[in-house]
Amino acid sequence: MPKSQFINPDEVRKSSFIKFDDIAVNQYNKSVAQEKANFSNDDFVRIYRDMAIIREFEGMLLDIKTVGEYNGISYNNPGPAHLSLGQEASAVGQAYLLDQNDNIFGSHRSHGEILAKGLSCIYKMDNDELYSLMKNYFGGAILKVVEGGQKDVKEIAIDFLIYGALAEIFARETGFNKGLGGSMHAFFTDFGIYPNNAIVGGSATIAMGGALYKKANKKEGIVISNVGDASMGCGPVWEALNMAAMDQFTLLWEEGYKGGLPIIFNFFNNFYGMGGQTFGETMAYNILARVGAGVHPNQLHAERVDGNNPLAVIDAMKRKIDIIKNNNGPVLLDTIVYRMTGHSPSDSGSYRTKDELDAWERHDVLKEYSGKLIESKITKQSEIEEIGEYAKKLITKALKLSIDDNVSPRMNLVKQPDAIESIMYSEENIEKMHQDEPKTLIPLDENPRVAQIKKKVRYAFDQNGNPVSKNRVFQLRDGLFEAIIHKFYTDPSLIAYGEDNRDWGGAFAVYRGLTESLPYHRFFNAPISEAAIVGSAVGYAMSGGRALIELMYCDFIGRAGDEVFNQLSKWQSMSAGVLKMPVVLRVSVGSKYGAQHSQDWTSMIAHIPGLKCVFPVTPYDAKGLMNTALAGSDPVVFFESQRIYDIGEQFHKEGVPEEYYEIPLGEPDVKKEGGDITILTIGATLYRAMEAADVLQSQYGISAEVIDARSIVPFNYDAVIKSVKKTGKIVLASDACERNSFIKNIAANITELVFDYLDAPPVCVGARNWITPAYELESEFFPQADWIIDAISDKIMPLKGHVSKSNFTETEQLRRNKKGV
Amino acid sequence: MATAVIMPKQGQSVESCIITKWHKKQGDKIKKGDILFSYETDKASFDEEAKTEGTLLAVFFEEGDDVECLLNVCVIGDEGEDYTEFMPQNKDMAAQPQEQKEQAPSEAPQPVLEQAPAQKDGFIKISPRARALADKSGADIRFAVPSGANERVMERDVQNVIEQGKLVTSAAAEQYAQMQPISGTGIGGRVVTADLTETVAEKLPIAEFKEVKLSNIRRIIAKTMHDSLANSAQLTLNTSFDASGILSLRKKLKENAEQLGLPNITINDFITFAVSRVLVRYKDLNAHFQDDTIKQFTNANIGIACDTERGLMVPTLFGANLLSLAEIASKSKALTTACKEGTINPDLLSGATFTITNLGTLGVESFTPVINPPQTGILGVCGITERTKNGVSYPAMGLSITFDHRAIDGAPCARFMQELTQALENFSLALMA
Repeated sequence: MPKSQFINPDEVRKSSFIKFDDIAVNQYNKSVAQEKANFSNDDFVRIYRDMAIIREFEGMLLDIKTVGEYNGISYNNPGPAHLSLGQEASAVGQAYLLDQNDNIFGSHRSHGEILAKGLSCIYKMDNDELYSLMKNYFGGAILKVVEGGQKDVKEIAIDFLIYGALAEIFARETGFNKGLGGSMHAFFTDFGIYPNNAIVGGSATIAMGGALYKKANKKEGIVISNVGDASMGCGPVWEALNMAAMDQFTLLWEEGYKGGLPIIFNFFNNFYGMGGQTFGETMAYNILARVGAGVHPNQLHAERVDGNNPLAVIDAMKRKIDIIKNNNGPVLLDTIVYRMTGHSPSDSGSYRTKDELDAWERHDVLKEYSGKLIESKITKQSEIEEIGEYAKKLITKALKLSIDDNVSPRMNLVKQPDAIESIMYSEENIEKMHQDEPKTLIPLDENPRVAQIKKKVRYAFDQNGNPVSKNRVFQLRDGLFEAIIHKFYTDPSLIAYGEDNRDWGGAFAVYRGLTESLPYHRFFNAPISEAAIVGSAVGYAMSGGRALIELMYCDFIGRAGDEVFNQLSKWQSMSAGVLKMPVVLRVSVGSKYGAQHSQDWTSMIAHIPGLKCVFPVTPYDAKGLMNTALAGSDPVVFFESQRIYDIGEQFHKEGVPEEYYEIPLGEPDVKKEGGDITILTIGATLYRAMEAADVLQSQYGISAEVIDARSIVPFNYDAVIKSVKKTGKIVLASDACERNSFIKNIAANITELVFDYLDAPPVCVGARNWITPAYELESEFFPQADWIIDAISDKIMPLKGHVSKSNFTETEQLRRNKKGV
Repeated sequence: MATAVIMPKQGQSVESCIITKWHKKQGDKIKKGDILFSYETDKASFDEEAKTEGTLLAVFFEEGDDVECLLNVCVIGDEGEDYTEFMPQNKDMAAQPQEQKEQAPSEAPQPVLEQAPAQKDGFIKISPRARALADKSGADIRFAVPSGANERVMERDVQNVIEQGKLVTSAAAEQYAQMQPISGTGIGGRVVTADLTETVAEKLPIAEFKEVKLSNIRRIIAKTMHDSLANSAQLTLNTSFDASGILSLRKKLKENAEQLGLPNITINDFITFAVSRVLVRYKDLNAHFQDDTIKQFTNANIGIACDTERGLMVPTLFGANLLSLAEIASKSKALTTACKEGTINPDLLSGATFTITNLGTLGVESFTPVINPPQTGILGVCGITERTKNGVSYPAMGLSITFDHRAIDGAPCARFMQELTQALENFSLALMA
C-alpha cells in the first residue's frame, strides 16, 4: 500500500472493457530446410542424439520395471519410475539454448529434462571446467566409477550424467544425491538442474524463488519451472504465477531491478494428471495457454507450442528468453506432449483407448524428426541407426555400473548410522552469503527506528525496581528489529517479505523502520499467498541467498502446508547436503482473534524432521536467537507471540545488550531458580508460570524453578534434567492445545530419563482441545497461573487450603479423552 | 523421640560398609547437618550427616567395624531417652554401647505386618524418588502417610518416616527377604503391601520349620559353587573303563602291603596317579582360567574332594605327577584325615590345578561335578557296574569330567579321557612309564 499509488475512484469506477490479445497456438510452421540457417547439420543430429538417449534411458527403465530385464541384464527396481517416453522432443528443445547458469526445476516426470539439460551443458562447457566439476563432486565419487576408456572429457561427462542420474534412481550412494532423492527428485545443480519435485506443482513456487534470487542479486541466466498440465489445478501454482508478475516489479522496484521475474512457467501438457484428463474432464481452461491472460495484462506472453517438434520448442524458447532478457518476464508456455506409457508402470491405461495411443504412435517424436532429417538430406537412415546403437551401449554401460553393488553401493546405515542424521541440518554459521556490499538506502545510524531505540531503557525495571513504562522500555519487537536490521547491513543476500511488511512495518510493527533503510528488491510486500511466500524462500535459499519471510499468523501455516512440511524441511537432506536452506520463517501466534487466529502450532513444526523451531519470549532471547537463526544455514521456524511484542526484558538484569550476540538454538533457560518444583514453559505461557511461581511461594511456601524452553527443536535436556533431579516434580505448560502438544513429548522424555528421581508424574497444562473462543473467554481456554496451581494440587501434591477451580482430576482426564475433547 | 541412624545402602551391590571415623561421640549434642561418622565401601567414601537434632545417645559400632547396610549405627534423641529398641540384632558384629554394657539388649520390634497399609486396597502408591530414598535409608514405607496427589507417597513422606525412626530393622529386612520374590505386582513393579502380607500370611500353607543359620563353610561352598556355575561354561563328558586291571592289582598290593611296606592304596589313589601322569600333557586342563589368560601349570596339583561333617573340603596334593603311587596314597590319606579332624593347614586348601571327586563309593553311576574356579576341569569318579564286552562281563568304572569350555574344547578333553582310561586299563604299564 504505497502512498505513491493513488486509487482514484474516478478511474476505477469508469466503464470500459478488458481487451485480450490473440494467444498463439502451435503457430510454428517452419520446415527443416528453412531452419538450416539456424542450425548446422551437426546441431540437427545432436538434437536427435539427445532425444535418442532419453528414449533409450526411459525405455530401459520401462523394461526393468515391467519385465525385470534390459538387454539381457536382470534387475529389480522397487522404487518409482514416472517415465516421459514420447515427450523427448520437448525436453531437448527446451534445453537446447540453456547453459549451466539457467536453472530448471522439475516434476516427478523429469528424467528427460535432467538428461537434456545435462547434455546441453556438457556440449557448451569448457572441458577443463567440466572435468574439475566432476572431480570435485562428492570428492570425485561418481567420476571414479565412470572414468576410463572414453576418448575425451565430454564422453566422460555424458557417462557421468547418465550414471549419476541412474544410480540416483536406484538409490545408490554414488547417485547425484547419494540415493536420497531418487527418481522423482534427482538433480545436479552444477548443470543448473535444480530439484525435481514429487508434489504436483511443487516446483512452481520454488522456481519462482530461484528467479527472485537471480533478479534481486543480479545473477545471470533464467529459471524454468517445469510442471505438468494437471498442476494448473493447484493453488500454489497460481500463487507463483501471480507473484512472479506482481505490478510492483514494474511500478515500484528500483531502476536496474525493474520488470517481472526471469522465469518461464513451462507446462509440459500431456493432457492427463495420472488418469484425470485435464482437457475435457478436470480443468476448465480448454487450452492451457489461456491462463496467462488471466494473470497479467501482458498475458504472460503465453502460447501453446508443439512439444512434439524439437525445433518448434527451440523457436519458442528463443523468443521467450529474449522477452525475459528485456525484463518482461514472466512467461507462460503450454508445451503439448503425449506420454506413450502409463503415469507409472502400475497404470493399466483404463482411461484412454488403443486408438488414441495408436494415433499418437504415428506421431512418434523420434520417427517424425528423423524422417524430416533424412528427407532434408541432413542425415541417413544408417546414421540414425548408429545413434540408436550408441544410445543402447551408453545406457547398457550405465545400467551395469549402477546395479553393481561393489561400485554402486547403497548407503550403509548399519556401518554409518549417522549417514542421514548428519545431513538433516547443515549446521553452519555463515555471516553473509555473498561478499559484496549490502544495498541499503541510508546508513544504519540514520535509520529513524534505530535512533528511537537508542533512547529506550533496555531493562524492564528502573533502579528502584519499578517497571519502566511501555513507551520507554526496549520491547521484544525492538530485540527482533535490532537483529534483523543488523543482518540486512551485513549480508547483501538477505531478503525479507511477507504480507504488509513494507510501509506498514509488519502487522505487529517488528519491521517498522526497515522501509526507510531497504530498497524494494530486498524488502517488499508479498501477495496474500502463503504457499508462494514460503515456496519462493525455499527456491531463493537453495539458489544461494538468505531469506527472512513471515506468516502473519501461525494459523496460516496451513496455507503453506506443503511448502513448510515437504519443501523447506527436506531439501538439505534430500540433496545429500549439496543444498543449504538459510531461511528464517517468522510465525506470529495470535490472541484475541478467535479460532483461526490464535493457535500455537509449534508441535506440528516440531514433528517434521529437518526444521528447527524456536519460540523466544523475552527481548534478550528474541534478539539473541534471531541473530543465531539469521547466521545459520538451516531452516528455522521462528515463533513469536502477539501477547508480548511490547514486553520489556525482565530476566536478564544487565538488560538487552546493544551489541551483537548469539544465543545457541536448543538451550532452555532457567528464568527463576527454585528447589521444590520445576515449571517448564514453551512460549508466552512463561509469564503465567511466573505468576504461579509467585503464588506458590507466597501462599504455600513452595519454591518453583521456572524454565523457559526457548527452542523446542533442537532441545537440550540437561538443564531440565538437572532441575527435576533437584525438585522431583515438574509441570509443563504451553498455549498449544493439550493433545499431542510438544510438552507431552518433553514429559514423556523426562519420565524416561529421570524416572527414578520423580516424586510425582510430570503434569502437562495445555490449552483445551477446543476452538479458541473469543478474547473474553480465553481464560477458560488458555493455561492460566491458577491452572498451573490447580494442576499441582490435583496431580502432584494437594496444597493446603487450595480449592481448584479447573478440573485436573484423573476422572476428568479420562472423560475428556473418551469424548475426544 | 529417639531416631536411629542406619548404615545407608550405597548402591544395589553394597552389602556392608566400614566405619572409618567417628566425628561425634556418645553424649555429644548434634545439629542437623553435622557429620556423624565417615564410612567407606570398597569403591568410595562417604560422610553421614545428621538428619535430626538431639544428643548422640548410643553408638553401636566402632571405627573399623564392617557394618551391614541398614543396621542401626547410632541413636540420636533427647538425653535420657530409652534407645534399647534400636540396638542392632547382629550381636556378633555390634559393639555394645560403651557405658551400658551390662544392659541386656532387648528384642528388636518385629516388623508389624498387620500394620495398616498406606492404601485401603493394600497397594502402596509411591513415587520412584520416594522409593529410592526408602531403599537407601531403610525407611519402612508401610508407615508413610501419603501426602501426594491421589494418595501417593512422596519423598517428604519417607523423610517423615525416617525422622520418626520407623526404619526397617535387620530382622524385618530378613523377613522382607524371605518374602521373595518381592517382585511387586504394583504399577511398574512397585512392591505393594499385598505382595508382602499375602505371601507370608495368607498364601502359604502353615508349615513347621526350623531356621538354621548357615555355617561359614556352608556359605563359602554356596558362594563358590554358585559363582562357578554362574561364571563359566561348564559341560560334562561321561565315559567308563574296564577296572578289572586296577582291581586285581589293588587286591595284590593289599595282600602284600605289609610285606612291601606299602600303605593302603585305594582306588582313588590309582586314579589320582593316572590323572597326574596324563594331565600334565593337557595344558589347558591343568590350568587356571583368568579373564583373558590361561595359566598353565607345569606340575599337577590335584585337589582331592573330601566329604567332612562340616561340608565339602578340597585339600591339594601338590606335585602329584612327581610322586610315586605309594607317596600319593600316604599323602592323600594324611590330607583327608586332617580335613576330617579340622586340623588342615589352610594353605593346603588352595592351589589345586585340577580336582578329583569320588562319589562312586556311594553308588553313584554318573554325575556332573562342579568346577572349583579358576580351575578348568574336575574329574568325578563313579561306581562300578557290570558290563559285557564280546559276551564277557567286566567291571566298568564310570568317569565324569566337567570342563570349562571357555578354556578347552570338547575334543581335546575327550582325548584326555581316552588317554586316561587307557592308562587305567593298562595300569602296570603306566606304573613303569
